[in-house]
This record gives sequence, C-alpha cells and structure tokens, in this order.
Amino acid sequence: MVRRIPAFAVGLCLPASLVAAPLSVRVVDAGGRPVRDAVVTLYPAGQAARAPRGGGHYVVSQKNIQFHPFLTIVPVGADVSFPNFDSTKHHVYSFSPAKRFELKLFARDQSRTVRFDRAGVVALGCNIHDAMSAFIVVTDSVWTARTNAQGIAAFGDAPNAPGRVTVWHPYLRAPGGFVQTNVAAGQRGANFSIRLRAPPPMPMPDY
Amino acid sequence: MRPFRSLSARLTFQFALLFAGAMLAVSAALSTFIAGSASHQVESQLQASGAVYDRLWQQRAHELQNAAQLLARDFGFRAAVATGDGATVQSALGNAAARLRVRTAFIVSADGHVIGIDGAVTSLEASSLWEPLDEGRLTGVAVLAGRPRQLVAAPIMAPTLIGWVVFAADLDGREMRSLERLSAIPLHAAVLVESKGKWAEATGSMAQLNGKAATVAERHLKNRAAFEMKIGVDPSIALAKPLPIFSSGEPAVLLLAYPRAQALADARKLQLALAVMTLLGLLLAAFATWRAAGRITQPLARLDAAAGRLASGEHVQVRVRGRDELARLAQSFNDMAGKIAEREHRITQLAFNDVLTGLPNRTMFHQQLDHLFRVSEGNGSLFALHCLDLDQFKVINDTLGHPAGDALLVAAGQRLTQAARGQFVARLGGDEFVVLQTLTGDRNAIDHLARDILDAISKPLVIDGNEIVPSTSIGIAIAQHDGGDNGTLLKNADLALYRAKEAGRGTFAFFEESLNERAQERRQIETDLRLAIERGEFQLYYQPLFDLEQNRICSFEALIRWNHPERGLISPIDFIPVAEDTGLIVPIGAWVVREACAQAVRWPEHIRIAVNVSPVQFHRGGLEATILRALADSGLAPARLEIEITESIFLEGGEPTLRLLHSLRALGVRIALDDFGTGYSSLSYLQSFPFDKLKIDRSFIQNLLTREGASAIVRAITELAQALGIETTAEGVEETAQLMELRSHGCSSVQGFLFAEPMSVDDLDELFEHEALAMQKVA
Repeated sequence: MVRRIPAFAVGLCLPASLVAAPLSVRVVDAGGRPVRDAVVTLYPAGQAARAPRGGGHYVVSQKNIQFHPFLTIVPVGADVSFPNFDSTKHHVYSFSPAKRFELKLFARDQSRTVRFDRAGVVALGCNIHDAMSAFIVVTDSVWTARTNAQGIAAFGDAPNAPGRVTVWHPYLRAPGGFVQTNVAAGQRGANFSIRLRAPPPMPMPDY
Repeated sequence: MRPFRSLSARLTFQFALLFAGAMLAVSAALSTFIAGSASHQVESQLQASGAVYDRLWQQRAHELQNAAQLLARDFGFRAAVATGDGATVQSALGNAAARLRVRTAFIVSADGHVIGIDGAVTSLEASSLWEPLDEGRLTGVAVLAGRPRQLVAAPIMAPTLIGWVVFAADLDGREMRSLERLSAIPLHAAVLVESKGKWAEATGSMAQLNGKAATVAERHLKNRAAFEMKIGVDPSIALAKPLPIFSSGEPAVLLLAYPRAQALADARKLQLALAVMTLLGLLLAAFATWRAAGRITQPLARLDAAAGRLASGEHVQVRVRGRDELARLAQSFNDMAGKIAEREHRITQLAFNDVLTGLPNRTMFHQQLDHLFRVSEGNGSLFALHCLDLDQFKVINDTLGHPAGDALLVAAGQRLTQAARGQFVARLGGDEFVVLQTLTGDRNAIDHLARDILDAISKPLVIDGNEIVPSTSIGIAIAQHDGGDNGTLLKNADLALYRAKEAGRGTFAFFEESLNERAQERRQIETDLRLAIERGEFQLYYQPLFDLEQNRICSFEALIRWNHPERGLISPIDFIPVAEDTGLIVPIGAWVVREACAQAVRWPEHIRIAVNVSPVQFHRGGLEATILRALADSGLAPARLEIEITESIFLEGGEPTLRLLHSLRALGVRIALDDFGTGYSSLSYLQSFPFDKLKIDRSFIQNLLTREGASAIVRAITELAQALGIETTAEGVEETAQLMELRSHGCSSVQGFLFAEPMSVDDLDELFEHEALAMQKVA
C-alpha cells in the first residue's frame, strides 16, 4: 500500500545574524530504497536553536474507524481537535510522555480539543478500535520536515552551526522509534539508513 | 567333500545341509525383518511422540500467548506500563503468572528496559531478548538462568509498541516426565538448548546428557529420522526434533530416546523364539532326512548284502515291500537270483544227472560212491551196490524203436526210484542202473530191496500200444567185503549181475569170490583162444544125419573141439560164448568152414556137410567171402554145404542178414534153421525166408515119448515143413521108440547118439570104408 503524506510546510523565521547553510537529509531503508514520511528534525546546538512559533490549531478527525491524518507535525503549544465523524463512539488516548490524555467515549459530531505543550511524538490510539492509529509529532525546532518521495528532507535555511539531526518514523525499529546523528557546522547533507518494521496489518486509509 | 561310506549318511548330510541353509536363510531374514520392524515401530512411536509433543508445545504456547495477549491488551495494564507504574505492572504480571502456573513473567519495553523480573533471571539476560522480540519473535525456546524455557511474548501496543509481555515456562524434569507419560512407549524425553556455546538441558527419566550427545542429536535434526546413540551407557534409538528457538543461533532440540534393549525386548524374545524354533526345525529336518534316507537306503543295503551273498554262491531272496523303483529293483534281483539258481541247478543236472531219466549220472554215482566209502571207512558201516540191467532191452529197442526204448528206460528209472526210496539211484548209461543202499545192521534189507526192485520193474507196461513186461537182473556187491574201491566194487557187482543173467534173468545174485575166478578163467580162455587158432589146436568132429527115406547117411554136422595143450579137450559150450564176445568167432568160424569143406569134398557125393554159423559172423561181415573161398579152395559143390543158423540172427540182423542169406542160397548153399521150437519160433521167419531145412530142437525129441503135446508139436512142425517143402531133421534122437515116432510123423532125417556120436576124421575114413564094403555086400 502506498502511503501518501501530503506536503507539509513550516513557516520559518531565520535569525538574520546567522548565515544559512542548507542541509539535505536523505533517509533510505535497509534495502537502499528511499523512505518517505520520515520526520527529520535538526537541532542546532546552542544559540542557533530556534523554536517554532507556538500555537496554532490542528485537526485529527475520526472517520471510518480511522484517524485522519495519520501523521501530523505540530509546534509545541498547538491545539489539536479530534472531531468524530463516525456513528460509533471512540475512546482516543495517548500514553506518550509528550502528551498523555484520554478522550473517553465521545460520540458523533462531538469534538474535543487537546493542547500539546511538550515536544515529542504522541501516539494516538482508540481503546475501542485497536486498528486505529495516528501520530502527532510535537516539535520544538523550526527545522522539522517530513521526507518526500525521494526520501529527502531539505532545510534550505539551516544555520551554519553544529547540531544533531533526528529521524523518526512510525515503524522505525529502534528504541524510542528514532535515530539521530550529529552534524558539523556547514555540513550540507546527512544520510540515514533505517530499519522499518512492517506496518500493522490493518487498512490504512488516506489522511 | 569327504566321500561317505554310506548313502544314508550322505543323503542325511546333504539334505540336512540344504534344510539348514534354507532354514537359516529364512530365519536370518525373519530375524532381520523382526529387528527392522521393531526398529521401525520404535521409530514410528518416537515420531508419534514427537508429533504429540509438537501439539502439546503449540497448545501450551497458544495458551500462554492468549494470556499474554490478553494481558498486553488490558488498557489499565497498558496504561501502567506506558506510565511506568512499576508496582501495578509487577502485580499484574504476578497475577497472570500464577494463573498460568508460570514462574517467570516480565516485560521488555520497547526501549530495552525490563520490568517485573523474578530473582533468577537477570535484567541483562532478559534485555538480550529485545532483539528477537523486536524482530517479531513471539514464541520459542531460550535459556534463562541456565535453564531451558519456553518463552511466549505478546506486544504491548499503547497504541504504538511500547514493549512486550513475556511469559517463560520452565522446561524442567517435571515437564519432560509429563511428556514421557503421554507416550505409548516408555521413552525418555529431553530438551537441549545451546546458549553461548554451552548446552543447557532438561531431562525427564533420562540420565544426564552431555554436550557430545547434544551435538550428536543436533546433527540428526535435519533428516528427522531415528538414529542410534548412547544415552549414558545404554545404546538407544533416538529422534531429534527441532524446537522453535527464540534467539537465532541458539539451536534447541527435543530429544526422544528409547533404550535399545527395551525397545527391542519383544523383538529379542521373538528372535529367540525363532532361533529355538529354527534349531528344533533343524533337528527335526535332520531326523526326518535320516529316516527318509533310511527308507531309501535300507532296501539298498539289503540288496547290497544279498548281492554279496549271491556272489558267494548262496541262494538268496530279498523281501519286496511297496511298489516303487526299489521294490521293482528288489523284484528284479529276486528274479535274477532265481534264474541264476535255476541255471546252476540245470548245469548241475547236466553235469551230474542223466538227461533222459533225470537220475544222477555216472559222475555223480562215483562221487556218491566215494562219499560212502569215506563214511564207511570212518564208522565201519556197510553199503550195498545193486547193479541192474534190463533184460532183453536190446530186443525191445530194436523191435519197437528207440523212442519206445527211451520210454522203457524212463519208466524203469521211475519204478526204481520208487522202489528204492531213500537210496541213491543212478543211471550209468544204456540200460544200466545202480542203487547204492546204505545198511543199518540188517543184511536182509539187501534181499528185500532187490526183490522190491524186481517186483516193481516187472509190472506190465504199455508203450505205443504194445504191452511189455520188463524184467531186470540185479548183481549185488557189498562194501567193503566185495570191494574196497569204486572200480573193484563196480566190477564185482557186474560179475554178480552177469551171473544173475546166467541164472535165468529176472533175478538177483550176490557177488562171490568164485565169480571172480570164473571171470579170470574166461579171460584165460580168451587169451588161449587167440593162440589156439595159430597153433591149430582146434579139431572138427562130424555127427552123421540119417535120412529116414533113403535109410542112409545123408549129411554130417561139423562140430568143433578144442584140444588145449594143458587142459585137454574143452567143450564148445565153454569157449564159443567167449569167442563170440571177443569176436574170435570170425576167424574160428572161417577155419571151420574151410576145414569142413576140405573134408567133405573127399566124401561120397550124396553126403552134405552142415556148418554152424554164429550170428556174430553174420554181423561182423566177410561171411560170404569166407564161404566162397572155402568152396573154391576145396572144390566142393555149393549144394553140398549146409549153413545152420539160429533165430537169433534175425533178432539182431534185420534186412542185411536176410539179403546175405538170399545171396548164399543163390549160390546154391543150403540154409537150415537150427534149434527150431525154442525162443520166439516165429512163423514169420518161415514166411520171410525159404529155408531148406528145419532142425527140431532136441528138447521136443527128449519129451516126445514122455510129455503129452510134444508129439503133436513135432507132428505139426513136420507137417508144416512138408507143406512148405522144407526138410526136417530131429536132433538128439537116442531111442528107437523115438525114431519110430519120428518116422511116423514124416520127419525127413534124424541125428543123435542112437546112430552115431560125433566122429573124428579117422573114424569117418573107417566108416566110409566099412560102408563101402557094406554097400558092396548089399550090392
């Protein structure tokens, strides 16, 4: 099944004092095939780090016993509402350290909103419907992007500073579900070869 | 192979070998089959046990997995795990473990941390499971705290994977024993797991294994077939099954073993039974073969023995049983033996028996005689030899033919055997028979036997329609008085026989020494006779025959006299038979004819000369020539010569004699039949030959005046002669009354002392002179 993750743009405010040093990160799997929809985050060290502008409102809906979209990247402090378009009730929860919450049994056309005020990956599940799964990546770095079909995430305005780059993917096989590497100042590219476990055997509708 | 002395042994050996080979082959094949079958059975039982264990394993794994999944899906549990609520997690794990009767349960979190471990298993050990868990391994065998365990895991999704709940069931002795109990056969089960180069094991009833055994077991994992291995010291049949492993590179083996001795115990029993039965079968086969061989060879052995005895001359017969080839062989052998015996008997008969009568022959007689002499010398017993000779056999043979003679001999033999039952009877040849009579004291037995024989032989007998009354004479000599050896005894018995014949036939005589003397005298006469011819000791006397019509001497009969230089005058009665027997009668007879003719030619012409001729002279031939010579030499007219013959020449002569008589008569020689009225006096002779004269035997003349009938016979003869134109002469006339009677009967001439005794030549000369004077006186 082909997963299509729609392009996702993040507005970035670059400090004028810093000279930009574009960074291109390429993610491939064990077979050398490009991995798309991996979330790549650059954490420049020290002063170069920059948090995105907080706030904003996002929607992760439940429709046809599935979350939509599957992957959502939000800045710290964003509000995400969970409207239910299904005729059944859902019990949305997260045990992720970044945000623990429970939206118990809310029915059709009910919407609840949760604020995500800590950076991290939030795995969403429904206690009634095990097959329902979605992820919200709460980022505290403006240089956060998902890889395209070529497995490339590019940061054109990356600061010319050393830092680390993390790659996260819902099916990435590694403790914590992410891998990271340090990048030197002025490094133009980084390559990740990751191992993926098979996605859960359940229909993954579009999101 | 060593040659066997007996066929039976060879047959037994060969067949027993054959049976043994076949039985051993079958037995070996069966034994192998039994062993193979047992092995196969054990293997299939092992395989079945293995399959059972698979099922059990899966069932257990399933059970554990269900429990783990149930636990992993519990929202509260997930919440506790996700939120790191250690106390809650521990209690939940403990609760589940207790329910599942599992001692070890823990959680491996997605980031590698371990929660809720029991004391024995270290966190490090547990965290090493992260890799296989992360690879998706949810069940398998692994070594924890040095012991093999069955691990079952379930992922905890909250909602992403945050870890795995893991149950570890101990694979210990108890587990193995419960598995062993499930099996139909008493097998041993063990689980072997390799971990970090060392083997951890859990065994049930099996002795402790070692790494080497594990390596062996591992080697047989792939082919899934049973194999042989040693468990401790017991050779066992084993099956190795791979168990699902948790961590790759750490093989786990389920080893099912069955001690070979135990596994094949039943098969061993069967094999033992088979061996015993094979042995019994072999013994039985050997015994049966021995018996069968005996049945075949016993008759052969009997035949062999019988053939040996047959070869040594014994007469043998073997018993014939059944109808098979051997029986036929035995039958053929019997037939052969019978024929051999028959031939031997025949050969013996030919050698020792007379073919015609079947009686022992001369050879056998001599053997028997020898035997009796030996017995006699041994115990002094006596035995008598009877020599028999059938009277008148030659006459019967000649008149009735040889077949009739043979029939008479056969009959005589039978009668003799009958009469002399229990005694040895033999035929020596011709009409000579002998009886050897063994004596037991009573010498009268000899007379009795001789009389019995005479009576038996003399019974009338019909041969070819002719009734014959045979008779025999018997001469008896008694051993050892009358002879100490075969030759003497036989000779003396013969002398006695000769005497018996002389005594008038149909009688018997014992040998006496005088017989021997007579025989010697006879031999002396024979010797002297030969000389007498050369020496001229013979002399002729002449007896006149007086013609009754002309009343004058008409003829002289020449009578021979022998003047022996030592013994004086010898009567013809004493020497003529000897001369006839020896054939000397021929030269003597020839001399008589010559001398008589020479004398007669000097006599008045009306006087004839009569000469007696012996039948022997007729039969020996040359008589006609002798007579012709005598007539020629003397110049005597043949009509003046009269030949006197007796009937006996016809008995032995037959046709040639008759021809000779005709021939002589054709010369003009007169033929007179002498001694007419005695013997057979067959009238057929008179018919068959024209005699010139009949000479009536002196016995009739002597009785002429005294016995009634004699006169009638003389009359009948003279009348018969007259009717046939034959002259008659009466012999032995001694009285005038006789002369008167004869004259009245018409007898032609007479001869006898009444007129003149035989006279010498000198007396004759005187007579003729006297007569001449007398004639002159008459004239």
